[in-house]
Formats: sequence, C-alpha cells, structure tokens
Amino acid sequence: MKTKSNLYRKEKLYGLLYVSPPVLGFLLFTLFPVAYSFYGSFTDWDGLGQMDFIGLSNFKDLLTDDLFHKASFNTIYMMIGIPIGIVLALLLALGLNRGIPGTTTFRVIYYVPVISSLAAISIMWSWAFNGDYGLVNQFLELFGIEGPNWLMNKHTVKPALIMMTVWKGLGYTMLLYLAALQSVPRSYYEAAELDGANGFAAFRHITWPMVKPVTFFIVVTNIIGGSQIFTEINIMTSTGGPEYSSASVVFYIWQKAFSNLQMGYASAMAVVLGIFIFIVTLIQFKMNEKSSFDI
Amino acid sequence: MVKKKSWFMLVSLIFILSTVLAACGGKENSEAGNGNGGSGKASETKELTFMYRGGTDEQKAYTEVVKKFEEDHPGVKVKMVVTAADQYATKLKAAITGNKVPDVFYFESGDLKAYVNSGILKNLTPYLNYSEDINLDNIWKYGVDLYRYDGEMAGQGDIYGMPKDVGPFALGYNKTMFEKEGIPLPDNDVPMTWDEFIEVNKKLTKDTDGDGKVDQYGTGFNVNWALQAFVWSNGADWIDETKTKVTIDDPKFAEALQFFADMQNVHKITPSAEDAQTLDTYQRWMKGELAFFPVGPWDMSTYEGLPFEYDLMPYPAGSTGKPATWTGSLGIGVSEKTKYPEEAVALVNYLTASKEGMEMLVNAKVQIPNLIDMAEEWAADTSTKPANKQEFLDIVGDYGRVLPGHYTYNAEWYNLFFTDIQPVIDGKMTAEEYVKQQQPKMQKLLDRAIEQEQKSKKK
Repeated sequence: MKTKSNLYRKEKLYGLLYVSPPVLGFLLFTLFPVAYSFYGSFTDWDGLGQMDFIGLSNFKDLLTDDLFHKASFNTIYMMIGIPIGIVLALLLALGLNRGIPGTTTFRVIYYVPVISSLAAISIMWSWAFNGDYGLVNQFLELFGIEGPNWLMNKHTVKPALIMMTVWKGLGYTMLLYLAALQSVPRSYYEAAELDGANGFAAFRHITWPMVKPVTFFIVVTNIIGGSQIFTEINIMTSTGGPEYSSASVVFYIWQKAFSNLQMGYASAMAVVLGIFIFIVTLIQFKMNEKSSFDI
Repeated sequence: MVKKKSWFMLVSLIFILSTVLAACGGKENSEAGNGNGGSGKASETKELTFMYRGGTDEQKAYTEVVKKFEEDHPGVKVKMVVTAADQYATKLKAAITGNKVPDVFYFESGDLKAYVNSGILKNLTPYLNYSEDINLDNIWKYGVDLYRYDGEMAGQGDIYGMPKDVGPFALGYNKTMFEKEGIPLPDNDVPMTWDEFIEVNKKLTKDTDGDGKVDQYGTGFNVNWALQAFVWSNGADWIDETKTKVTIDDPKFAEALQFFADMQNVHKITPSAEDAQTLDTYQRWMKGELAFFPVGPWDMSTYEGLPFEYDLMPYPAGSTGKPATWTGSLGIGVSEKTKYPEEAVALVNYLTASKEGMEMLVNAKVQIPNLIDMAEEWAADTSTKPANKQEFLDIVGDYGRVLPGHYTYNAEWYNLFFTDIQPVIDGKMTAEEYVKQQQPKMQKLLDRAIEQEQKSKKK
C-alpha cells in the first residue's frame, strides 16, 4: 500500500514536471501578454512611458475611425479566399485519391508553399504581380489580355492577395482532405454502388458528410488565420496599398503601435479583433454541434 | 531504471529552467554582466550593444568601422544587432517596452520628443562639450539640430543624438540623353521655372523605336518623396510655424499639387499613374528611359553601374524662385540606462564625427561625409560620379528641409495625406477638392498627436 502511493506520488510529480514547460510557456507568453494588452486597451499608453487609465475612450474612438473600418472591411473581404481554397483543395484531394501515377510528387509540389517562409513567398509574389514584367501579366498576355498593375491598383490589390493566400494554403488543406478521404471505409461506396448511386450521389451522401469534421476544422482555423493576416500585406504593400485598400486589421494595429506611438489604442483594436474571432469560432462550434446530428 | 529516470528528470528541469530564463532574459543578462564584473575579470571588458539597420553594403561598412573602434578602444566590446529596415522600428520599440534598450541605437528624428520625454535617450550635451575629438562646428548644423530638443520645440536645446548621416534628396538627370537629343544641359546653379521644366520634359518624352508607344519619358516622380520639392518651392507647406495647424488648404499648396498631377494627366511627360509608383519608375531610370529622377546619397553605390552618365541639378522652382527638397537623417543615440555612458558616447562619436570612421563609411559610398571640411574636399573631386556632388552639399547647407512629420509627436497626420492621394494623381479629383476634404481629417490626427505630447511631458 505504501509503495503504491509512493509510486503514485512520484508519477504525479513527473507528470507535473512534464506538463510544466508548455503550461509555464502559456502563462508567460500568452496569458500574461493577453491580460496586459487587455488592460492596455483602457489606457492612453504610448508604448514607452506611463499608462493612464482613460476608460472606454479608445473603443469609442474606434467607432468613428475610418481607417479601422476600412481595415476591418479589407480583412473580411480577403476571407473570400477561404471557400475558394476549400473547394480547390477538395477537388485536388479527390483527384490525388484516385491513385493516379505520380501522386507523391504532386503532393510534394502542392505542399512546398506551406513550408516556405511567408516573407520569401510574399517577395516572390510581388514580383509575379508586377505590372510591367510580372509573371501573372505575361501569362495573361498569351490570351491577349493586358493585366493591371495588381498591387498598385485599389481594385485589384485584394484579389491579388487572395490569389496568393489561396495558393499558399492549398497544400495544407489538400493534405488534410487527403487523409480524411483515405479514412472513409470503402465498404460504404460499395454499398452505395449496389443501391445504384452514381458518383455525385456517393460524394454528396458519403464523402462530404464523412470529411465534414475536417471541413469544420479548416474553416475555423482559416478564419482565425485570416483575421490575423499581416506579413503578406506588410511586405507586398508596405503602405497598406493605394488608399489603404489592402491594409488588414493587424496591419493597422501594427502601424498604430509601432509607428504612431499609440499602444493603448492598438491594444483596444487587438481586443476587438480577439472578441470577433472568439464569437465567430463560437458560432461555428454551435453550428457544427447542430449539424452533426444530421449524419 | 532509476538512473534513467533521474536523467529524464534532469532534462525536464533544464526545459523548465530555460523557459523561465528565456522569459526574464533581460534581467538575467545584465546580472550575468554584473557577476562577471564582481569576479574582477570583466571589469576589463565593457560590453556595449549597438542596434542598427541597413542593407548589405551598409552592414559591411558598419561592421568594419565598429571593428576598428574596438581596436582603438581596448577593453570595449560591441555587440552588433542588425535588422532589416522595415522591421527596425518594431524591434526597437519592443526592446524599449521590454526594458532592454540597447546601449547605442539608431532612431528616427521624428521619435526624438517621445524618447526624451519618456527618459529613453541620454542627453549627450555634457559629454560632447568635454570631448576634445568633437568639433560640432565642423558637422552639418542641419543634422545636429535635428536631434536638439529643449522640452518644448525640437531643433533647439540639448543634443540627444548625433546624425548617422544626412541624406539630401537631390534631382538627377540623364546626361547622355540630353546630349543625344542635343538639348543644353541644365544649369547647376539657376533652377528652371516650372514652365521651362515642362518644356524640356516634353522634348524628351518620345517614342524612340517607332512602334507608336512612348518609351522615353521626361520624368516619373513618386508623390510620397517628390511632392515636397514642388510644394515648398511654391511657398506652401503641410504645417504652420507653430506646428499646430495643418495648412494644406492654402491655395499655393493646391497649385503645387495640381502641377504635380498635371505632369502626368495634362502634359503626359510621365509614365501612366499605375506604372509611376515605386519600383517601376526606378527601373525605368536605371534602364535610361527617364530624363529626370531623384538621387539620394545612398543610391551612389548602385548608380555607379548605370549604363549612362548622370549628374545632379537643382529642382525646378515654383513661385518663390528658390529650389527646395528634403534632407533625411537617422540619429544615433545612447540609452539613458547604459552602464557605460562614456564608452557609448565614444562609439557614437566614432560613427558620426570621427575622421577615421567617416572616411571608411564615405569610401563605402553609402553616405556623404558628416564633417564639413571632409565633405568639401569630397565634393571638389568632380572625377567621380556624380560630378556635381556640390549639389548635395548645397541642399544640406542651404535649401534642404526636414519632412513635416519630424516636428510632431507622431507623423500619422502627415501620412494620411498620402494614403488617399491616388485619385488626384490620376486626375480623377482636383487638388483643390482634395486639400479641402483632407485638411480636417489631418487636423484631427495632429490635434491628437499634440494632446499625446502634452501628456507625455507631464509624466
């Protein structure tokens, strides 16, 4: 009895020890900064000196801040890329799942952008989008289309960024779908075939419901990631684009905090963004709960 | 088995410790420094951190100068921290927030007030006054004054930084193109009028290969960096003398902005609006397709390899008859909390005001000399490109100005001017309409900056 509790205590100690690095890391590098910026959002902190409590004043200013509205609109606009990416990735995954020759090579090709540095990719794409000698316009020229100067035009800069983010995310999404597709039992399809279901019906009633958890995961993570888009914008349109047409919320936060000495105001925006992500994710979880019963 | 377990224990302990240590790295580092001092050994080496930014040419040049400094100052070691230009502000401000201010660091002149009011920059005046190596009279007054602040107004009072360099943004022209077209070269001393400038540009804008498309243009200015020359030389400005009122609604301002936009839309002497930004006109200039293009001293090493001859001239002048342009600068300051102020100031001086340091940096062709006597000698040598280097010195000594954002607590109000300007440049909105619409918005941001400044002073 005694030895047992000894062992128990020892194991508990080890357990605690092993979980402590991530827990400590979370406390120090996540929880503390979040709490700090939450407090900062109620102050006029300039990021250097003392913080003075000013109540909800920052949040009130946000309501009438044109640039914040523009940045929020841009951020949400650029999320159009999420459904596009999901459809493309699923099509690719279905294709690769058929066991055509060279599947592994294709998988690697599509996955390369995922592991590449976002900064390097952004630089590469800003060349591709160059109006004079960019790859994209050279390609369009083949069809006799004169392409715009993508990143310098307020109407094309967002579509250009969407194109790039879709391309970047494709490999990761595709790989998730591929794994999901491979875990669908073959017997379901055989049964469907016996019942006389055609390819599309099989997809609709078997494949799509079976990969639903993966779709859900992708939508949630993509929206969270999309809300925080920054590096691409900072590198490809360093001033936030013509007439601020490509600035995202995080880009505006960064400008306020680090160029304009308004850390308190930037914190307030970060809090609003955090709440937005929380609510959207919550809604999705609720929706997923409900629809799970349909299967 | 037991042994194995204790080994695991050790590893996990190390994990935890390293996490904790990383978190309070700042403190640990400085304590470690102290500890060394106590043991008697490290009182001999004083370590300074120097945070700076720059391209590869500059990094190479600065690394060498710092190495030389260490040789000349035994017992001082400099740890260099370098970042890409666009990340510098973020890194520095993060270091400040985290209470890990580098001993010596670059800073924007626009941040001077904020840094002084928050007790981040050390007042260098007492050190400079005692130093025999420094002769402030031999350094560009423009550059030194940028880092003066008396608690009220920037530009006067104590010195909180030294100019890393001064960057006069001059106007260059493609000499080869002028000669080919048989057009007399621009005068080095008498600026053209705006009308004369348009005339020359029209002559130089042409279709050279006969395919019906214009492929040689007069010019292609980026509004962010070239509009100042036109506004100022027309007697207008973004902000008034007291630095409290946005003055872009002045008719003289609108006139200059309209002239700038008309170069493209009416006179058609520049590439189309969408092509005219950033990289593209720069590329055209480099290929020899533009007659006029601005030249900064930092461009000199790149422009060595241009396939044509280029030289400098004054900007065309508006109604004042006097040319104008801006001169950039970056300051090098010392942390208020540095443990080795003497050595830190010595490093600043070595980089900004010493003959040895300056020679190395000028030879690397990344800047013009800070020392006036050295600069005059440098400009007198017309055998190196560009021949009229004197224009750079004229700008610094005579007609160059600081960008408007420098005087205010932050430059947000000024930046907003350029955020929405594209429709004017494209000719979809008149300059008059634009300045009317934009003035109140900018004024609101300026008021806010002034309010922030008042608060930061009280603290």
